[in-house]
Parts: sequence; C-alpha cells; structure tokens
Amino acid sequence: MVRLPRNKSEPGKLRAALFALLVHAAFLALLVFGLNWKNEAPEAMSVDLWADLPQRPIKPVPPIAKVTSQPQPAKPQSRPQQKTQPQPQPVIKVAPPPVRKPEIALKDKTEKPQPKEEVKNPEPVKKEVPKEELAKKPVEKPVSKEGVKKSEPIKKEVPKVEPVKKVEQKTEKKDDTRQQVKAQEQTQQREQQMAAVKAAQARALGEIEKYKAMIQAKIRSRIIMPPDLPGNPAVEFMVTLLPGGDVLVVTLRKSSSYAAFDEAVERAIYLAKPLPLPPDPGLFNEFRNLNLTVYYRE
Amino acid sequence: MSKTITQDLSFLHLISGASLPVQLVMLLLLLASFISWWFIFRKLFTLRQEIKQTDEFESVFWRGSDLNALYQRAASARHAAGSMERIFEAGFREFTKYQSGVDIGPIMDSTRGAMRAVYQREMDRLESHLSFLATVGSVSPYVGLFGTVWGIMNAFRELSNVGQATIAHVAPGIAEALIATAMGLFAAIPAVIAYNRYASDTAQLATRYESFIEEVSNVLQRRVAKPRDVANFS
Repeated sequence: MVRLPRNKSEPGKLRAALFALLVHAAFLALLVFGLNWKNEAPEAMSVDLWADLPQRPIKPVPPIAKVTSQPQPAKPQSRPQQKTQPQPQPVIKVAPPPVRKPEIALKDKTEKPQPKEEVKNPEPVKKEVPKEELAKKPVEKPVSKEGVKKSEPIKKEVPKVEPVKKVEQKTEKKDDTRQQVKAQEQTQQREQQMAAVKAAQARALGEIEKYKAMIQAKIRSRIIMPPDLPGNPAVEFMVTLLPGGDVLVVTLRKSSSYAAFDEAVERAIYLAKPLPLPPDPGLFNEFRNLNLTVYYRE
Repeated sequence: MSKTITQDLSFLHLISGASLPVQLVMLLLLLASFISWWFIFRKLFTLRQEIKQTDEFESVFWRGSDLNALYQRAASARHAAGSMERIFEAGFREFTKYQSGVDIGPIMDSTRGAMRAVYQREMDRLESHLSFLATVGSVSPYVGLFGTVWGIMNAFRELSNVGQATIAHVAPGIAEALIATAMGLFAAIPAVIAYNRYASDTAQLATRYESFIEEVSNVLQRRVAKPRDVANFS
C-alpha cells in the first residue's frame, strides 16, 4: 500500500548519479592537473643548483687576471725605455708571462690552484735571466721576438712591432752604446721588477688582510655569544686550514678564561667552514696556520 | 636519475604502476566513494523534498481545513504526498473504520497504531542509506591506509634490492601508495559530513512526525467526543 509511493517518491536517482560522477571527475581533474607531477622536481634538481655553484669557483679567476696584469705596469715603463734606448729585452720579458699565465689560468679553472703561486715566483727570476742573456746577445733577440710575436696576444703585437724595428735599426747603427745601455737596462729592469714585486706583495698583503677580515667576520657571525661576560675577553686560536677552506685542526692558544666563550668560538670556527680563502692558491700558505683572535665585544 | 623521476611521476602512470593489492584498494575506494556520493545526492534531494512537503502539509493542516478533504487529497495524490501526509492518511483511514460508535479507547489505540506503523516505515525510508554513509566515512580511511602501507612496504622491499638507495627509488612507490590514502580520505570526509547532516535532519523530521501523531490523535479524540462538530476541530 505504502510501498508503491515510497519507491516512486525517491527523487532524482539519475540526477544524483550524474552529480556523483561530476564530483569524481572534478576530483580526478584536481589530481591530474592540480598537482605538478612532472615539472618541478627536475628544474629544482639539476638546472638551477648546478648552474649556480660552478660560477663561484670561477669568480676567483678574475683576480688571476689581476695577477697577469702585474707585469703590465712594467710594460709602460719598458716602452719609454725602448724609445730612448732601444732594448728588445723588455718586449721578450713581457711576452712570455702572458703566454704562460693563460695556461695557468686554464689550470686554475681545472682546479689545480696550488702550483700558481709557485709558478709566479719563479717567473720574475726567469725574467731577469733571459733579459741579461739577451742583452748580451742582441742579434738573436729579433729572431726570438718574431717567434714571440706570433705567439703573443693580438693587442700586444701592434705597439711592439714598431719598437722592435727600431731596435733592429739601432742595434746595427750603435754597437758602442750597447754596454751603457745594458747597464742601464739591467738597473732599470731590476727596479721595475722590484717595484712589480713590491706591488704584487702589497696587493697580496691587501688580499690576505681582506680575507683574514672575511674569515673573522664569518666566524663572528657563527658565534653564539654567552651572555653577560664582564669586560672584553679575547680568545686566541690557531686554526689549521685545508686548501678548500676546510678546518683541519683548531687549537686553543690563549684562553679567555671563560670556558663558555672559548667553546662558543671554537664551535663557531667549525661551523664557519668552509672559510673564505683568496682565490689565488699561492696565498694559501698565509692561511695554512691561521692565528685568530676573537674579542667578546667588537 | 632525474630522468626516471620526470618520467614516472605522472598521475595515471603512478596508478597503473601500482601493485595489484593497491590497485584493488583504489578500485574499492573509488567505488565506495562513487556510491557514497550517489547516496549523498539522493538523500539531499529526498530530505529537501521531504522537509518541503512536511512544511506545506503542516501549514495546510493547522490552517483549519476539513479533515475529510485533507484525507481525500492525501488518498488521491499519494505519489505527491509527503511522509506526514501519509501518516495522517493512515491514521484517518483507521479512524473512519470505527466511526460507528465504538468505545473511544480502542479507536484511538488502533488509530495511533496505524500512524505509528506508517511513521516507522517512513523513518526507515528516510534513514535508509545513512548507515552506508557512516560505514564509508569510518572505514574508507583505513582501507586507504591499508593500500598505502602495502604500497610503501613494496617500495621499501624493492629498495632493499638496490645497492645505492636514493630517494628517487622510493619516491614513486610512496607517491602511488599515498594516492590510496588520498582516495580514502576523499571518500570518507564528505560521507562523514553528509551523515552527520542527514542524521540531524532525519531526527528533526522524526520529532516533527511524532508530535504530529500525538496532535492528530488528540484532534480525532475530540472529534469522537463531539461527533456533530466535524469541520471545526480547533
């Protein structure tokens, strides 16, 4: 009696089914299109990070360019000399270093930092030796110059070609003035070299100071200072570094007499690794055993 | 490594790559979810219609219409009638059968009994699919969890065969396993919400019907007491 209407009064079965289908279609669409299943992971993983990281190691290379520029101040000086007193040697001097230094720079990029400085130091020595020898044998110079010219960078060729020609003409004409010229050359060369070395040293010193300050700053930023120490205690550590800037050993040299402060600084030193080091690996010797004095208050 | 990740993590690929138990669980959950949504919408329509009809009939009834006319209307348009109207119809029919001067006690008893019977049946109809919603709401998270646990178990077991374990080896397995949990939750949450909502709606209707039964039996009793005054029962 009542059953008939009951069945018929159930409204919208089909409509309900349709709605249910719609809901599930929406859910499926949300799952398929709402989430980025494919895109994000690869971008984050391979492209961005790896693009960034190698650039920093490469940045150190510009300073190497500075290193190559160190002989350059000698060039302008040597050019006037050539004009007044024809000497082929400076040309030769200048030429080999640029040829070698690019090689070194390439080595740097391939991450063999240490040989740089060692190579650099011998360079000035080499410069002197060939100069003197060449000064004694001016006839051979033009030949060597030509050979050098070809290997020389394009920019340098243009200005240098003229002095060389002059030198050739003058060597033919003036044989007697050679000895005087030689003596002057040698003194001037030495002065130049000294100046260049000093400049390089000054630059290196500046670099060292800069990086020491950076190391200090980096360590300082990692220190969790124990609160409320009286006065301005200082703690001194000797830090043995590895070439990558890793901290090998930290030894306490002079305690601040506050163990908490000492430990905080020591922890900070380990936390701060890798410590910033100058890109020029030749300077690393200055950092191998680093004396660090950290003050409680700056 | 990155290549395999990019290839494997499409949604459909994940589902098709899942192990059989996980796929079965997903299928089950999809079915449960679909049916529960179907019931949700059906119940929504039913209850909405029921409440509307009840409101209408109550207002007509208490406006003081003739009981006979009301009964005629209810008996003729039974398909369009709501639960309350049907209750009234059953009660009034029972009442009219006794019309020829019997004791008031048995008349009212059987009238009320008839109304109760229809009321029970109507309530049964209104509550019909709520238990399914409750079941889906409480069980499907566990079913989804089962699928997830199974999938993760498999993922780790496969990981043990690989010498160098990276997250890339486990990630697809875990992702596909977690889809089962997501589906379980997707089925469960609406089911629970709908169950609570419809249960309270049904309970409200039930109290309205019960009080209506009492009121109707009172009205009919008064009508037996002064049989002449048929039309004005207020």
